[in-house]
Amino acid sequence: MTAAAHEAQSPHQDLHESTGVENRKLAMWAFLSSEFLFFGALITNYLLYSGRDFATGPKPSEIYDIPFTSVSSFVLLMSSLTMVLAHNALSRGDQGATRTWLLATAMLGSVFLAGQVFEFTEFITLENMTLATNPSASAFYVLTGFHGTHVAIGVIMLLSLFGLSKRMGGLTNRQFLNLELVGLYWHFVDIIWIVIFTVVYLLTAVPGAS
Amino acid sequence: MTTAAEKATTIFRRPRAETGFWSWITTVDHKRIGILYGYTAFIFFVIGGAEALLLRIHLASAESNVLSAADYNGLFTTHGLTMIFLVVMPMSAAFMNYLLPLMIGARDVAFPRLNALSYWIFLFGGIFLYSGLLFSAVAAPLGVVPGIPGNLDPSDARSFGALPDGGWFMYQPNAGQEFSPSLAIDFAALGLQILGIASLISAVNFIVTFFNLRAKGMRLLRVPVFIWMTVVVAFLLLFSLPIIAIALFMVTFDRQFGTLFFDATAGGDPILWQHLFWLFGHPEVYILILPAMGIVSEIIPVFSRKPLFGYAAVVFAGAGIAFLGFGVWAHHMFSSGITTVAQVGFGLTTMTIAIPTGVKIFNWMGTMWLGRLQLKTPMWFAIGFLTMFTIGGLSGVTHAVVPSDWQQTDTYYIVAHFHYVLFGGAIFGLFGGLYYWFPKISGRMMNDRLGKVHFWLWLLGFNMTFAPMHWLGLQGMIRRTWRYDPSLEAWNRIVSVGAFIIAIGLLVFIYNFRTSKRRGEIAGMDPWDARTLEWSIPNPTPAFNFAEVPIVHGLDEFWHQKYTEDKTGRPIRKPEADEQITRLEEIGLNPPEPVHLPNPSYFPVVMAMGLPLIAYGIIFHRSIAGKALIVLGVVIALAALIGWGSEPLEEAH
Amino acid sequence: MADEHDVAHPTPAQYVKIAIGLAVLTAIEVGLFYLNDAVQLGWINTAALLTLAFLKFAIVVGWYMHIRYEKAAVSRFFTFGFALAFSLYAVVLISFGVLAANR
Repeated sequence: MTAAAHEAQSPHQDLHESTGVENRKLAMWAFLSSEFLFFGALITNYLLYSGRDFATGPKPSEIYDIPFTSVSSFVLLMSSLTMVLAHNALSRGDQGATRTWLLATAMLGSVFLAGQVFEFTEFITLENMTLATNPSASAFYVLTGFHGTHVAIGVIMLLSLFGLSKRMGGLTNRQFLNLELVGLYWHFVDIIWIVIFTVVYLLTAVPGAS
Repeated sequence: MTTAAEKATTIFRRPRAETGFWSWITTVDHKRIGILYGYTAFIFFVIGGAEALLLRIHLASAESNVLSAADYNGLFTTHGLTMIFLVVMPMSAAFMNYLLPLMIGARDVAFPRLNALSYWIFLFGGIFLYSGLLFSAVAAPLGVVPGIPGNLDPSDARSFGALPDGGWFMYQPNAGQEFSPSLAIDFAALGLQILGIASLISAVNFIVTFFNLRAKGMRLLRVPVFIWMTVVVAFLLLFSLPIIAIALFMVTFDRQFGTLFFDATAGGDPILWQHLFWLFGHPEVYILILPAMGIVSEIIPVFSRKPLFGYAAVVFAGAGIAFLGFGVWAHHMFSSGITTVAQVGFGLTTMTIAIPTGVKIFNWMGTMWLGRLQLKTPMWFAIGFLTMFTIGGLSGVTHAVVPSDWQQTDTYYIVAHFHYVLFGGAIFGLFGGLYYWFPKISGRMMNDRLGKVHFWLWLLGFNMTFAPMHWLGLQGMIRRTWRYDPSLEAWNRIVSVGAFIIAIGLLVFIYNFRTSKRRGEIAGMDPWDARTLEWSIPNPTPAFNFAEVPIVHGLDEFWHQKYTEDKTGRPIRKPEADEQITRLEEIGLNPPEPVHLPNPSYFPVVMAMGLPLIAYGIIFHRSIAGKALIVLGVVIALAALIGWGSEPLEEAH
Repeated sequence: MADEHDVAHPTPAQYVKIAIGLAVLTAIEVGLFYLNDAVQLGWINTAALLTLAFLKFAIVVGWYMHIRYEKAAVSRFFTFGFALAFSLYAVVLISFGVLAANR
């Protein structure tokens, strides 16, 4: 890989039996693998309740705005591209391009979040679907809300990296790993949305609703 | 380390103290963190034990009024929560913290500051859970019928002093807003959430330590069994905690923000709670028992003077138990109306767990077979573990038989079963570990005579307490009951007496611990003639652990430095063994080159402080003060994060 | 680290091509959704959408998260977490009869 990544390796590594994956990176992968169980539980809640009928409506599956969600899903998907380009730029040592792509990623993430705020607002004000309308609505808001929280945390981390790079005139070898970890997290949030978009939106949306 | 680290500035001056109060608050040394875990867990053990004694005083007679029904509910729930989350888990964590680096030949865990963070989050989570006592009112549970014994007298309601009262499993909607209006449930739900964060962080930390920091030559099948069990437990935590996190979030959202996940009147499904809870809850059972199994696997070979019989089988059985443990959760739900197919399926998977467990039990017996047993206190506790756990395991198998389980569900038979595995198993194992590693930690020996008194008192008291519960349960005494049929009173008296014998045994332990710590015989190097790496360094362990990072050539590395085998396979002590130990002690105390250790830090404790503040804020979020607390908590945690990020792990050197 | 040199990471141009691929897959998904609105495709729709989602998932994990270029330990962790979550929750949903009832 790059010289930067080599430097980030622990200097004591030779004294140990090791997987060869840097400690913090291994920790991030372990954490992300446990997040599958986290989001899996939320998606399960949603799938359980979306198949049921309730005395009070509407259910989210009846009021989805599929074209809108498709666009915001596309935005999040493309933010993975800008993220990987930021990673690539830094591995080539191009600090300016790194900053540009970091900022672009944060921007796309913010657009996605704004879309989510808009979606929630529409559902609450126009469609009268709140957290307390029925269990399906509860499950939808809590699932997408937790995902949104993850995106928001990602945006904050991206902006911190951007700010750090701006202040220090570039990211150091040590921080290359930080960028890589933020990237892993960001892509993970994206793949969770890939699942949510298909399973929660496309597959449960009631035909003709959108 | 790197230039970036050298340039970085810190907000506060770094903590410098090496002894005294602040040195403990700011420590990032895995050994000190382990000791902190141990003491904290022990204090909670005493609290949880006192709760149990109150319960047993109440249950000594069939129509007792020692406790009100509401307080009784609160005490049995809190006893369960305390013993599981604040005693057995952290006490296991104490051993894991202390021993993981020592047994794999490392200077510390992979992330020393995260390790400190775990401890402080755990401590604050425990305090938060109990602090509900100050804020939550005792209220009459809905659904009580006035005038019938066993129901709450409305005059009993108090303005504060309530403990969570929904059982440790917090079944919904019973633990929902309507039937458990007291805030205590909110404290329990958020407190467990905080404790879960602590465990998740340690799990990641231990996994990385295990995979990346083993001494050169310590291949996977040369790792001591206790460390294997540590990493298996870490994986169990890693994959089961997110599930309970979601489940607890759902409870909190239901109670605080009006969601309807478990509100049966609005279409919510209480069975969903049971699935999510037991998806976590059953792996949790193995989280509690596997560390004790690991400890016993270390003790038995040392005191049998033989290598562990079938080392690889024991390791794989442990991993197998953990893996299967994810596939049996619905056996807790046989009486909840799940489909017949599910009942058969989960009955079968549950029975298969007996196979790896049996493998372990037979391997421990095989280790003792023809061994030269040295019946010191740790070995007695290991034997106690082996026998009592086997009884508990066998009664567990009876739960796999569905019709039989229907009879046993919610009776004292279940209470007997899980106390046999968690007290007879986990606690006996953990105390065995305490006696075994006490010299490692303190440099002194525990008094062996008093230790044996402790053991026999416990064995007697334990069986008096929990064995009669089997037949009480089979005669129909239901769990969590405030009143019971007077015909069952005689056995209940015996149970209550047994509980006090356990308490006396614990007093003996406390006396022994205190005096041995001050005046115990000096342990010196290798007091047990042990097998694993942690004994190849001086007692008590020097701050830097290993003066020279060891190179490992095989399983039971330290043993092979001391012993060789004759033609019949009998161990023969090498003539130079004593010399070797003296040399090890000398090197161990005087490292040939200076060792750089991670510096202490304020930030873990500060960051941990943010979490309970946020949790208080969520509970009181309807008021301005609550909202302010959330903001304050977030600000504190973020400030600590920034400080943490700008402070290098080790000062430039 | 040595074996990481053996496989070169994608170039920016290749990353863009991958992104175009992802976008196309998403477009197919949405198209399929509307097709299903017009003519009920039943289980074919479900199977096709899940396959497409899984493809996108695998592409992002494989190339953007570089799991193809990582040590085996990493992919084992990740695959295990995913497989565990998938199977546990599938059993839960099956036991509720959800997967059978869902279109």
